[in-house]
Amino acid sequence: MIRFALAGNPNCGKTTLFNSLTGSTAHVGNWPGVTVDKREGVYKKCAEPIQVIDLPGIYSLSPYTPEEVIARNYVLDEKPDCVINIVDATNLERNLYLSTQIMEIDVPMVIALNMMDAVEKQGDKIDAKALENKLGVPVVAISALKGAGLAELMEAAYKACKAGRSGKTVLENGALAHLITDVKIALSGQGVDNPLFHAVKLAEEDELEVKAHKDTVKMVEEFKETFKDDTFGDDFEALIADARYKYISENFSSVVTKKNKEKFASTKSDKADKVLTHKIWGIPIFLVVLFAIFHLTFSEDFLYLGKIFGFSSLEELGVDTEAFGGQLLACFYDGAVFSPGVIINNLWNNIIVEYAFGWLVNIIAESGMSVWAIGLLNDGIIEGLKAVLSFLPPILVLFLFFSILEDSGYMARIAFILDRMFRKFGLSGRAFLPMIMGFGCSVPAMINTRTLADDKERAATIRVIPFFSCGAKLPILTAVAGAIVAYFGVGNADLITYGMYLLGIVSAILAVLFMRNTTLKGETPPFIMELPAYHAPQFKNLMIHLWDKAKHFLKKAFTIIVASTIVIWVLMHFDFTWHFLEDEAVDKSILAQISMLFQPIFTPLGFGSQLNANGWVFVLAAVSGLIAKENVIATFGVLAAILGGVIEANAEGVGEVARMIDATGIGIPGLIAFIAFNMTTIPCFAAVGTAKAELMNNKSYHGTLIFWIVSSFIVAAAVYTIGSWWWTAFIWAVAIAITAYLVVLYNKRANAKLNDHE
Amino acid sequence: MQKMLNEFTIGESGVVKAVGGEGKIKRRLFDMGITPGAEVLLRKKAPLGDPIEITIRGYELTLRKTEAQFVTMEVKK
Amino acid sequence: MKPVEIIIIIAAAAIVVGVIVAAIIRKKKGISSCDCGCGCAHCKGCGIKKPEEEKK
Repeated sequence: MIRFALAGNPNCGKTTLFNSLTGSTAHVGNWPGVTVDKREGVYKKCAEPIQVIDLPGIYSLSPYTPEEVIARNYVLDEKPDCVINIVDATNLERNLYLSTQIMEIDVPMVIALNMMDAVEKQGDKIDAKALENKLGVPVVAISALKGAGLAELMEAAYKACKAGRSGKTVLENGALAHLITDVKIALSGQGVDNPLFHAVKLAEEDELEVKAHKDTVKMVEEFKETFKDDTFGDDFEALIADARYKYISENFSSVVTKKNKEKFASTKSDKADKVLTHKIWGIPIFLVVLFAIFHLTFSEDFLYLGKIFGFSSLEELGVDTEAFGGQLLACFYDGAVFSPGVIINNLWNNIIVEYAFGWLVNIIAESGMSVWAIGLLNDGIIEGLKAVLSFLPPILVLFLFFSILEDSGYMARIAFILDRMFRKFGLSGRAFLPMIMGFGCSVPAMINTRTLADDKERAATIRVIPFFSCGAKLPILTAVAGAIVAYFGVGNADLITYGMYLLGIVSAILAVLFMRNTTLKGETPPFIMELPAYHAPQFKNLMIHLWDKAKHFLKKAFTIIVASTIVIWVLMHFDFTWHFLEDEAVDKSILAQISMLFQPIFTPLGFGSQLNANGWVFVLAAVSGLIAKENVIATFGVLAAILGGVIEANAEGVGEVARMIDATGIGIPGLIAFIAFNMTTIPCFAAVGTAKAELMNNKSYHGTLIFWIVSSFIVAAAVYTIGSWWWTAFIWAVAIAITAYLVVLYNKRANAKLNDHE
Repeated sequence: MQKMLNEFTIGESGVVKAVGGEGKIKRRLFDMGITPGAEVLLRKKAPLGDPIEITIRGYELTLRKTEAQFVTMEVKK
Repeated sequence: MKPVEIIIIIAAAAIVVGVIVAAIIRKKKGISSCDCGCGCAHCKGCGIKKPEEEKK
């Protein structure tokens, strides 16, 4: 099959074009660097089917970030039949800089002039034909968003790939023209593919090229000795970059006709930025936005209307909440109007899930099957599934809000606002996006760390991403917090939930600080980033994200989680001699026996040996969470059904956890330590696999596993001891201070030693 | 008058004279269009005074003062 | 045992074995690293092998 590769700057509309061409539903965001790996799809509306490959967005073919290397190697080694270079027409100069580099490769090439509609809206004009004549490669004006010009583009690319093309450089009249020509001839003599491209890169003394062509680089060094430029001296890299931009601005100012002649005209984005990245109000606004998102998703008192106006509860109004009508009303209102997230959640859980599964449970219970069969189906599979499915709404709603932030371009501004703070911890503001993505799911967050140029910064970021409590950990939080309030009658569930999120963030900060000063020492990486123009999020785009998310969640619920609940149920109903056990004899089961073996390890965390005979349930739940964090609550569901008599299950998982508390005699500090342990320990299988793939080397990967185990024990132990005996907070503070002091001292000594050697 | 980009105040504009610094950072600055002759306007500073946001070659770029200090500018009156 | 109960046993075993086998197959194909369950963009991306990394 013919292969076309899409290449271009980050945020120029590549992924939108890819989706329009292939009908695929890849993720599109308004943030430079959303595509961090290449993706494939098929375009069918041409003479023959064409495979389209979406490459990561890059500014240049230099080898400084992993995504630049991916794109560069793909074009050089995989030899696509044509490269479609997408150029953002609203930002022609910088986009063409990459074009001048791709032109040097011996590959057919077409330029897709995207966002022409936006240019015309501003009243500007770009002469595509004139651009084509100047560059010598076909130029097609398109609008990826509206799907305009796509057929013409593919037609032009198809023609170009049949015709073939050899590399051309815009440096042919520059100061280095002779050197480049000589190196090129030498390289073609050695039978190197794409001699022109390699010759130019060699002249730039690009790391990868110098390594690959050790002999030929001598030519560059010799030439350098005879050469002096007035501005750049013998810095050929600077000379070449400058020559490219000079060529672009000299040749293309005539192609663009601007309506507004002013150089630095104010745009709508600038006006929005005046407020959103304001010197004083920028950070408060960001905090308000974050609070609003959580309020809209979780609050049971929307805009605090209930508190302000003192609405009556349904009971006081005499509504029968047992009848269907009352049940439906209770999804929206009970003494206060619920926030949209809670309403959706109630409709889903109290109506759809409850009725569908309730009906199924009744049929099975009355089917006259053996006790074990009913147990496996009702207590094992259905209870587990219900516990997991009940979390679909909050996960989707939260995800929707983060998608809106990303689509609109505000996410990039948050990085801008927060960079100064992040730098104190040894990270760049760019690390913010993967971290906030971690609130959704650790896996894409870890993959997204590829936008970070520095390996050590990447490793540190990947390690703390699970501390940003993901969607699957949310059930643990809300269920345990809800149970604490319901069972002990103290505190406020929302407050505990927020507090745990905060604990995760604080742990992440401390861990990063520690790592960046010890095992992952390094310079703070540079922060040079484009701020994309704001635009309203597209409805279709958002729905695609949501649908994808829901699909994956359901797929996982019905495969991995059903399978784990079956295994857990079986291991809980058989002893080591494979005799079936009644529910009451659960403590003799295989799983209980194994969990009891490990229970003492968790004593410092408050859910170990100090609990009664049933104490092993928390160990079991935590261990099952290593497969997928949804399992923790699913396991509680199964356990509660076995231990018998579920306490009034009014909200997601709360009843089940309350039952666990009742059966084990665990205290509040132990419960909170249990949440803390789950938040900071080894994440799910999927995230561990991703971390392994992203960390590149095994040493770093094993270090990461140890890091997760150690940090979860420290954090949970701190929570438990401080919760139980408040004065231990001083001991912890002193321990942290001593550690910090030792690290500083050690670093000073190491630096002094380094200086001595010099 | 010449000064470094990190010394610019909000609303000040100028032309890039020279770009210093080491490999990675310098290359990045070049790739983003900060080359001699480019016109730059300092649009704003982040809430804590750093990083800064500039308009260059018709788009918005953000960079830190530590990176901006490698860019020598000719101030426009 | 009733026939329904035998079917339940077989179905339960099939699900467990199926999930494990699927995971092994994915691993052999080298796509196990991303079973996001997250509906993210990258799920599609990570299914493709990274030739440049393997060459190293």
